[in-house]
Amino acid sequence: MGGDQFKKRVRDERSELHADAAASARPDLRDPHVVLSLLEADQVVAAKQQTRFGRRPLSFGVRLAMWTLRIYVIVMFVIVVISVLRALHGGG
Amino acid sequence: MGASVDKSRNSAYQPAQPTTELASRSAAGRQLIGLLTHEDLDRARDRWRVARARWTGRGWKSLGGLRVLWLLMGPGVLVFLGENDAPSMLSYSADGARYGIGFFLPFVILTFVMGFIVQEMTVRLGAVTHRGHAELIFDRFGKFWGMFSTFDLMLGNFLTLVAEFIGIRAGLSFFGIRPGIAVGGALVLVLAVITTGRYWTWERITLGLAIFNGLFIPAALLAHPDWPAVGHALATWTPLPLGDRLQIALLILSTIGATVTPWMLFFQQSAVVDKGMQPRDISAGRLDTLLGTVLAAVFGIAAILATVPLFHHGINAADFEYAQFAQALVPWIGHVGAALFALGMFEAGIVAAIAISTSSAYAFGEVFGTAHSLNRPLREAWPFYVILVGSACAAAVLVLVPHAPLEFIALTVNVIAVLAMPPALFFLLLLVNDRDLMGEHANTLWQNFAGVAVTILLVCAGLAFGIATVYPRILGG
Repeated sequence: MGGDQFKKRVRDERSELHADAAASARPDLRDPHVVLSLLEADQVVAAKQQTRFGRRPLSFGVRLAMWTLRIYVIVMFVIVVISVLRALHGGG
Repeated sequence: MGASVDKSRNSAYQPAQPTTELASRSAAGRQLIGLLTHEDLDRARDRWRVARARWTGRGWKSLGGLRVLWLLMGPGVLVFLGENDAPSMLSYSADGARYGIGFFLPFVILTFVMGFIVQEMTVRLGAVTHRGHAELIFDRFGKFWGMFSTFDLMLGNFLTLVAEFIGIRAGLSFFGIRPGIAVGGALVLVLAVITTGRYWTWERITLGLAIFNGLFIPAALLAHPDWPAVGHALATWTPLPLGDRLQIALLILSTIGATVTPWMLFFQQSAVVDKGMQPRDISAGRLDTLLGTVLAAVFGIAAILATVPLFHHGINAADFEYAQFAQALVPWIGHVGAALFALGMFEAGIVAAIAISTSSAYAFGEVFGTAHSLNRPLREAWPFYVILVGSACAAAVLVLVPHAPLEFIALTVNVIAVLAMPPALFFLLLLVNDRDLMGEHANTLWQNFAGVAVTILLVCAGLAFGIATVYPRILGG
């Protein structure tokens, strides 16, 4: 493990361990502050409902690859149907 | 790590920003106090257990580390044992019965390596963004591509669900249980598991059922495998399968489809989100996925070895269906071995039915913005549960309809899964390389190399199948 990664893990664990609720043997989850101290800010349902990741710009190459793969799937589905119909009718 | 935003589409929303900051310390924390849901409370309870285990365990090199792993395992093991489903076990059985010990043993291991490479990416995506796969595709690529992706998923999921109920019916028919009772009983089990209203309980019950996938191991041992031949096959990938090239291409494709399928991507990412995993849990998520990979590979190879006696005794298994393998195996592995094999088929079907119907429900909720969590009670998330139960019921009913095209579905389900996989993988690679979303958790060069290699391999396998179908003589078939 690299030094930076190790420091990051220690930092992450310390952040969690320092949360009051984590140190408590029996946290009171009726207290919303306790609940919020255990969840990340973008993990709370209400926060997720209010936010969206926007669309990313797609380059020509990415669009071309998407269309190519889409056409590939459609053609292959047709071939599957032909293949299975042949098999079911014993046409090999 | 601010995500770029197309305001024309998302004008009603704030831009989402992945963060590892605890909600209580964030600027928006105070505004969230009155908006907490039942789902948040259950998730916080799960997070507390993990935090507490880390607090008392002091890291990974102690028993406390094992406790943390126990708490965080689930999505990875479930997705792989769920994918060791009825059609997959049928494919493995056909590999063993038609071609014996040889090429397919190491090939199955290769497919699981591919599966691990792909599924590990979904762990990172889910833990960092806290969003499901369908939601991210809609957000980042728009409705047009999102609908395509969801259509592929829903079609594949429904066909696979039907195949699971065929497996359940066939597995229990070995014991003389009538189709209606077998399928109805399985439906009741699916319903019973989701009535818990808690992700954690659902996960543990399903994991408990999934471990019975190991029934294929005693069945394989009763077949007295030729271990030196197994070692030779694993080392040399020989003997190669001989015969009708189209049938071999179909079986290769079907075997890949037994391990790498679109529903697995959607399911594991959604389950990681529902479990409440965070970026600090990614290492444990990787171990969970690795454990699932190893278990499923061992059980899959056991299914191959269990049916090898049919190959050695020249039994023609070309047209065998689920329960016929068990019946044909009675003279070679005994009634107990065959019963274990049939029970394994039933288990494979029931666990996959639970996982796949849940995958459809997660995707529906993510696409339509309705509540989608097993931590939500029925009254808060009824559309989620309606899709979950409805998809399972529809598949179960179809299996009981006389003259339904079940053979068609059983033959095609794994093949369709493989053919639908390249676009799904392309979206996955784009998402997991998106530094606006993933930040430091984006793919490395090697992870991209492995991901692209898997995608190219799947496209090539599909093209080979297509060529063998349209021009059988090109492959000498």
